[in-house]
Amino acid sequence: MKDIFTDLYNKVLGFFRQTEEKPEEESAKDVACNRLKFVLMQDRTNLSPELMDRMRKELIELLSKYVEMDKEALELGFEQEGSQMALMLSIPVLRAKEESEIEAILAKEDEEKGSTDAEEAVDETAVSNSVEEVESSADTDESVDESEIIDAGTTSVDEVSEDIIEDSEKSEITDSVKDSKKSTSKKEEKETVVSK
Amino acid sequence: MTALMEEDIKINTEEKTEKTEKGDTMSGRVIVVTSGKGGVGKTTTNANIGTALARAGKKVVMIDTDLGLRNLDLLLGLENRIVYTIVDVVEERCKLKQALVKDKKNPNLCLLAAAQTRDKTAVTEEQLKDICEELKKDFDFILVDCPAGIEQGFQNAVAGASEAIVVTTPEMSAVRDADRIIGLLEAKEEIKSYKLLINRVRPNMIESNDMMSVEDVQEILSTPIIGVIPEDAGIITSTNKGEPIVNDEKSLAGQAYSNVARRIMGEDVPLLNLKEDKSVAGKVKKFFSNLFGKEK
Repeated sequence: MKDIFTDLYNKVLGFFRQTEEKPEEESAKDVACNRLKFVLMQDRTNLSPELMDRMRKELIELLSKYVEMDKEALELGFEQEGSQMALMLSIPVLRAKEESEIEAILAKEDEEKGSTDAEEAVDETAVSNSVEEVESSADTDESVDESEIIDAGTTSVDEVSEDIIEDSEKSEITDSVKDSKKSTSKKEEKETVVSK
Repeated sequence: MTALMEEDIKINTEEKTEKTEKGDTMSGRVIVVTSGKGGVGKTTTNANIGTALARAGKKVVMIDTDLGLRNLDLLLGLENRIVYTIVDVVEERCKLKQALVKDKKNPNLCLLAAAQTRDKTAVTEEQLKDICEELKKDFDFILVDCPAGIEQGFQNAVAGASEAIVVTTPEMSAVRDADRIIGLLEAKEEIKSYKLLINRVRPNMIESNDMMSVEDVQEILSTPIIGVIPEDAGIITSTNKGEPIVNDEKSLAGQAYSNVARRIMGEDVPLLNLKEDKSVAGKVKKFFSNLFGKEK
């Protein structure tokens, strides 16, 4: 008798669980929207997933000089806001770095940079055969205008540190990129750093 | 029957692109109907908007630029009346006016047919521009039916136009191609304004979240909408008969197309609400509208 009741109880419970715990599957429409947004982002920016990944890595490298952040949780993507396309970067900040800490990292970097420059100069004079090689490697090293990066970095770190003081949970830096659709020269877009 | 509600659905049809509308009212407006992807309803859209504009008393000429794959003549039921094509005009075998085929019903409507035996290289951008300029003098609207793709055929069709209607459907591939076309139109200085027409919308599928909604497509493409056309089996029968569906006043797709034409003429017409009205009031309304025929 008791068995019948427990059986019935379980069945009834099971029934309600079934109706309640219906796994919420993503609708076909949502899948389509998300896939489309992703593929259009690639189409519009000419950035393949590999390039996005590289951009992400470089950004982590750059920004982690100034703040200690959750590298795994860093989100990077393009979002459409009306006719404007925005590059959204969301980084959970774990801890603000000490001023001395940042200075030490930057000083070390400057030192390294200085020494590599010196080495290159020596190489160029000493081994004239491989001048081309050295040049090409120098090109790849410095193809991204470093002064620009440092500029952008310092402005964004200002924003970030402000955010840390105000709310230490999450800071969002928005690089609002001029809509690539509107501008013919996608590569020469002017970037402005805006804090959200 | 889907109940029609009078309330406009919350989509901004007024929102304009950064480019301003053409101000010149003295000569005809050249509008290219394009899509990127094939089979989304460019030619159907062209035939119906053209017919609707002509029914409203405007002088309309449609140019089929899909050389080698012409179909606009079929949709209008004019396939047996074509003597000269656009290629004959370009190669000076006839005058432009000789090549214009008058519609069976509406004397305001003309067709300049594409050549079926030639390819896209038979007409150049310059030549199409000249033809459009010439036609502007005599017509209120010149509708250019663009071939699918983004190659020379597209470039030709767009050459003479100052406005564009981008046809898409709520499907991923069509939206992606529309995005590409919008990018290309944006880069063209001659195109002063472009708008989106969302075709083959299936309200039931949108209701069940199986299809992207009009709002989704608009958000993704961030382009103002000129019209939303529901999927309608009547399109196939009307194509079979060679008679555009706008001539059938009872058809929902036909109504949607004539609304597009009214918007082109500058009227402020709210988008048809294609959703079934499930409220009690809606059901009562539907009951009475079925009882007494079309209710305004």
